[in-house]
Amino acid sequence: MEKLKDALDFSDFSKAERIGLIIFSIFLLVFPWLGAGSFTTTVMIQFLLFSLFGMGWNTIGGYGGQVELGKAQYVGIGAYTVALMMVWWKIPFWISMPVGILIAIGYSFIIGYPLFRLKGHYFAIATICTSLVLKDIFDNWSLVGAAKGVELPIHDHPDFVYMQFKSDTYYYYFIMVLFYIGLFYMNWFRKSKLGYQLRMIKDDEDAAESLGIDIRWCKIKAYSIASAFVAVGGGFMAVYNLYIDPTSVMELSLSIKIALMAMLGGAASLWGPIIGAAFLVPLDRFLGSWLGGQKGLTGIDFMIYAALIMIVSAYQPRGIWGIIQQFRKRGH
Amino acid sequence: MGDYSTVQEKGALAVSFLTVENIVKDFGGLIANNDISFTIEEGDIIGLIGPNGAGKTTLFNCIVGYHRPDSGKITFKGKDITGLKPFETNRGGIGRTFQIMKVTTGMTVLENVMVGAFCRTNDRNTARGEALDVLSYLGLDAVKDYYINELPIAIQRKVGLARALATKPVLLMLDEVASGLNPKEIEEIVELLRRVNSVKKITIFLIEHIMEMVMKISQRIVVLDYGEKIAEGLPADIVKNENVIKAYLGEKYAKGL
Repeated sequence: MEKLKDALDFSDFSKAERIGLIIFSIFLLVFPWLGAGSFTTTVMIQFLLFSLFGMGWNTIGGYGGQVELGKAQYVGIGAYTVALMMVWWKIPFWISMPVGILIAIGYSFIIGYPLFRLKGHYFAIATICTSLVLKDIFDNWSLVGAAKGVELPIHDHPDFVYMQFKSDTYYYYFIMVLFYIGLFYMNWFRKSKLGYQLRMIKDDEDAAESLGIDIRWCKIKAYSIASAFVAVGGGFMAVYNLYIDPTSVMELSLSIKIALMAMLGGAASLWGPIIGAAFLVPLDRFLGSWLGGQKGLTGIDFMIYAALIMIVSAYQPRGIWGIIQQFRKRGH
Repeated sequence: MGDYSTVQEKGALAVSFLTVENIVKDFGGLIANNDISFTIEEGDIIGLIGPNGAGKTTLFNCIVGYHRPDSGKITFKGKDITGLKPFETNRGGIGRTFQIMKVTTGMTVLENVMVGAFCRTNDRNTARGEALDVLSYLGLDAVKDYYINELPIAIQRKVGLARALATKPVLLMLDEVASGLNPKEIEEIVELLRRVNSVKKITIFLIEHIMEMVMKISQRIVVLDYGEKIAEGLPADIVKNENVIKAYLGEKYAKGL
């Protein structure tokens, strides 16, 4: 109960933020009736999905300050669990998704335990590597479809058991609900003991250890929470796209985009990943469809992401949200 | 008979609050601590002095667990704590502050102290209440919403102290808590530490370079030089000890006193 109260309690935010949240929520709620085209709806679904990913990354990457660039492997785990269980045994989404989360958490403990012996750049590189290894395995593992990927059986009648719908509006509301669960969870998380301890670890590891904090265990816990978040997103991707392959759910660029959403918007803040996704998802669409289609310009979007990461980490580690806060401070 | 006496000796050591036995720490040829032994009794205020590079902070780190001593044994409240991790010794009741406090921008003073309080509780409101108690005890209420980088060094050190106190230690290890402070601030911190010692019943073990302070506050002093313990005793005896004068205090100080 106490936890639920904390999750729904935004009272430590400024009035402007609370009004912003209400307007934003109303907008999300009525969006499908605003007469937007299917393209815009797709972008909105992507926006909510990547906000969810970014919020997950924010636990370990933002609050914990660990540059984590391997989240795609957990998107993959979530997506593949849902897809394969549906294809092999016709298991409904609501059973396969929790299983996917559990597998992601279990796997994150196995990966996290040795990984958190490393610090800084070494940790970042190691996370990239583990993700690449898993992608390579799935690329060559014929049992799970190898590079061909997995196609989900399409049902004639849309239903809530397998979460298959004809209209994007259903998917939109589905991901919106997941988004809000994520948002409320993060609102609780930032006020929790683990949240405080992670921020201390980010600030000063030696001091954190002298204050009774088991640094490695805290990082592993946060890493698992982050993994569970993105696994949920992965499960959604499976039922939404109805087709997954290692490139679409485990690519390195996905990991980087997830981290970049939160970093650009503002790591270690509740709004950061949402702001970041609001900027990057449309940009990604634009770059992907326009620049990516031009001959000789393929891959230029990655150069732009790389440049963004460098600019953000060098000039404004607290992202767009940090800039907004600076302006507010000056206004006072 | 010989055996009997060692057993008795061990028994006597076991009741000591903190026992450091034959600690050796060798950093690849540089012996930072060589065969150091001493004991601290509950309720004491003990000073640790010595020239720069004498191995004082290394000794602290060996006790708290940042370094694992190459040989020797550390016993705290009758339990062997040699080689335990810092978070384990902290949960066991040893709090410490750092010589150099990282000037961080991520958390306010109150949040910093709350992290300390979270060591003993899982509930945010309890942690907050305890943190506020510690802050008012140290007279820091006014700065609770500031970030550490916005504060003068004297206050920063007090925040470090508050953070350590919030973990409810029974042994507090202070690494140069008074360096960089002016005489009035030193006076304050001495007063504060005495209060912590007598009211909160916290044993204090401190590294200090400021002789006026360490002589005034300590009941006993341990002196290190080049990793060796060269003297141990009452402040009045330490200032007259020839080895200590030669290694650290200097002739002037001894005459001036």
